[in-house]
Amino acid sequence: MKIVAVTACPTGIAHTYMAAEQLEKAARRLGHQIKVETQGAMGIENELSAEDINGAELVILAADITVQKRERFENLKTIEVGVQEAIKNPAALFSRPAG
Amino acid sequence: MTEIAFTFPLANGLHARPASLLQEVCRRFAAAILLRNDRQRSQADSRSVLELVASGTTCGDPCRLEISGPDEKNAGHALRTFLQQVLPHADDNLPPPVPAGGPKVWLPPVFCQDAACILPARVLAPGIGSARALHLQKTEIPLRRFAAGKMDVKTELRLFRQACRELESDLQKKAATLQDANAAGIMRAHLALIGDPGFRERISAAIVKKHKPAGVAIAQATDHFARILRRSPSAYLRERVDDLQDLARQLAEKLYGRPAARPRRPVSKPGVVVAAALAPSELLALDRRHLRGLVLGDVGITSHTAILARSFQIPAVALSPQDLEKIKNAEELIVDGRRGLVCRRPGPALKRYYRLEERKLRFRSRQLDRWKAEPAQSADGRRLEIAANIGSTIELQPAWKNGAEGIGLFRTETLFLGRDAAPGEDEQFAAYRQAARAARGRTVIIRTLDIGGDKRLPYLPLPQEENPFLGYRAVRFYAGQPELIQCQLRAILRAARHGSLKIMVPMVTGLEEVRLVRRLLAAAAAELRERKISHARSVEVGIMVETPAAALFLDRLAREADFFSIGSNDLLQYFLAADRGNARLADLYEPLHPAFLRLLFQVARQARKAKRWLGLCGEMAGDAALLPLLLGLGLDELSMASGRIPGVKTRLRQLRSDDCRRLLQEAMCCASSSEVSEMLKDFNNRSLDVGAIAAELIRLDSTSRSADEAIRELCDLLELGGRVEDASALEEAVWKRELTYATDLGFGFAIPHGKAATVKTGSIAFLRPRRPFPWLGKSAPPVRGVLLIAVPAAAHGEEHLQLIARLSRRLMHEDFRAELLSARDTDTALAVLRQCLQGS
Repeated sequence: MKIVAVTACPTGIAHTYMAAEQLEKAARRLGHQIKVETQGAMGIENELSAEDINGAELVILAADITVQKRERFENLKTIEVGVQEAIKNPAALFSRPAG
Repeated sequence: MTEIAFTFPLANGLHARPASLLQEVCRRFAAAILLRNDRQRSQADSRSVLELVASGTTCGDPCRLEISGPDEKNAGHALRTFLQQVLPHADDNLPPPVPAGGPKVWLPPVFCQDAACILPARVLAPGIGSARALHLQKTEIPLRRFAAGKMDVKTELRLFRQACRELESDLQKKAATLQDANAAGIMRAHLALIGDPGFRERISAAIVKKHKPAGVAIAQATDHFARILRRSPSAYLRERVDDLQDLARQLAEKLYGRPAARPRRPVSKPGVVVAAALAPSELLALDRRHLRGLVLGDVGITSHTAILARSFQIPAVALSPQDLEKIKNAEELIVDGRRGLVCRRPGPALKRYYRLEERKLRFRSRQLDRWKAEPAQSADGRRLEIAANIGSTIELQPAWKNGAEGIGLFRTETLFLGRDAAPGEDEQFAAYRQAARAARGRTVIIRTLDIGGDKRLPYLPLPQEENPFLGYRAVRFYAGQPELIQCQLRAILRAARHGSLKIMVPMVTGLEEVRLVRRLLAAAAAELRERKISHARSVEVGIMVETPAAALFLDRLAREADFFSIGSNDLLQYFLAADRGNARLADLYEPLHPAFLRLLFQVARQARKAKRWLGLCGEMAGDAALLPLLLGLGLDELSMASGRIPGVKTRLRQLRSDDCRRLLQEAMCCASSSEVSEMLKDFNNRSLDVGAIAAELIRLDSTSRSADEAIRELCDLLELGGRVEDASALEEAVWKRELTYATDLGFGFAIPHGKAATVKTGSIAFLRPRRPFPWLGKSAPPVRGVLLIAVPAAAHGEEHLQLIARLSRRLMHEDFRAELLSARDTDTALAVLRQCLQGS
């Protein structure tokens, strides 16, 4: 499965990157393809392109604050969770029905 | 009539000490001298300290001195000098006021458990102290009790004068013996108050004309001036009422014996003194060895009691009358002069928390002591001696306490001013020897008499001049007064047997002046030889570089002089032709003028070429913000007001001399002083180049037992490591983040973090508790490792952020966590963290 994700936490120092790492780790283990954009204290990094987003079968937004450039994901199958959930149980998100 | 207009320069207003300095100058003249404050619309007779103080003069007030009488011209000259040279420095060694604490201060969660025992307070003196409460009872001035009874004008007048004499002699003794310069200064201010003609005349008049007993007359005069002072817009002046009442109380003691005295309890074991009011004399009478703190009632931040507490480093706070009453005798107290609160009977968690804080403060002061003891040098090992400027021997002790490596300027004028005859050789010898001995091998540079037509000495007939700053002054009158100077030189030669003394000559413009001083010195030595009095064979003679002529003639002067010190204050005003006392020229009198920097550069280059030692002893030496430029000059020494030393020494350790040399070169090419100022600000703001982690930021055997303690401990480590200005400000940011949701990762690891302006450079700190504890009472596995991340508020483009992001990612890997939790020692843990941060 092709997945794209965005992570963002209140201070943008730690949880943003921990969540990104967890999602990437879990995807690798389960044989999924994933690209994670981080929105932290250094701004947007590893930004998702239109191409990335168009090719994705699943969008995960793991954020405790408003996600920037949210309009990119309109009409796509999107899962929205808090950052902590992505850190604790990333694999579960991949099989969760999208809202 | 002569009139001098000026702008009042002192931040604390015209309080007792500057007022007594002004009064001392005015007293020497027959002319009537009136201070008019055009903003407050008040006026005062300058011979009365009380009236001066009561004028309510505050910083920036436009003022005038009106001088009329036979010697008004001389008085005018003396007062101009006073306003330019003495008054602006009157508060140099005043301990800084503390930032206002109080109930608005943020408190970490550990305080919530003990909320009932916390009393909000105003901070009077910083620091933290804990001990049992020791109550002192409030007493009134009981003077009115003596209103009844027979009344004999002569007896009352005699009693009053005798009481004044006795109290004056007490105060003089205290002023002479108190080690602390601030305490001694306050005693001198009290002396001026007691001798105040306005105060004395009012009391005498009440006795003579209204037939009041001495006690009543004192009480009425005190009330009269207290009323005026209380109306003053300045809190500082309102608080002088305490000084006045303190004196009245002491006078009453002298008049009527013990009944007026407050029953005093000796502080025989550690205690926190609790009192509604505490006069300066009462604080001085307490045994300070056991005094852990002061909890007072109606006492202001600028009261002399508060200044003394800061000077003696006793934590002190003020409570509302209601809260003060809640404190029971002998109950346990914590006085927090940081957050502005008092804890009554603190619980165990709070006590443990404060123990951490006290440990940090102890560590901090040890660290400061170590820095003080270490030679001053830049980050790349360039030595730059940091010395103190003093005006009298009483300032010696604070100089060493602040870590002075020598005395770069001993102004000797104070020895000569305000007296009818010049100080004798023995008196000067005693003062110089005291300095030489106290220096214990460090060098003391004594500047020979720097006086001119603007300072009138009854025993030194100097002509009156239109322009005394460009007149017959300093070395220029030495030829006409050889005996006065030889006497000073003899005293220095004798004292030089007891330590390392050097002589510095003021206002030199050419070779002949130095040769003259050398001739006088030779004659002085010859006379001592003849009198068979032991003295040093030779003393180095240096030049104070304060005229542009001397600055541009250094190569030739170097043949006659052993060393140089730049007197930057006068050099700047002569160089830019801008009177530094003239408020309208304040923009012009600017040490950052690129032309002035070029001049300093010239001086430094010539001194190096001539292989002569070069110091700088003007105001700019003590400004840590200017230090990069001064380090860039490659000077040998900076000499400053002693309070400035710790700050300058600390800043010096962060600077690299090659960067500073480049900065100076760029500054000299700037188009204006404001351009230099901008460039300097940029330079000073640039972050220090240090890694995000260091050994001193890791503690593997922490005794912390809760999130409160762990976060506090880590913030303290970062402060002690120089990464954070104020641990508490970071603590607050970390808790604010923590309370949105806990940063416990759920596998025995917590990563509290925060972003705050107080963080200088992005850093991490790590601790492992000896006993794992649950994070914020959670049921998750107890934490075995706590890693705190601190990031500056404006962190865009911060390279450390990148590293910290990488670290956060690595923490998701169990092997990394295991490595960190099992690291044998600090070095191993440091290596693990470093390796991760470097991405290898």
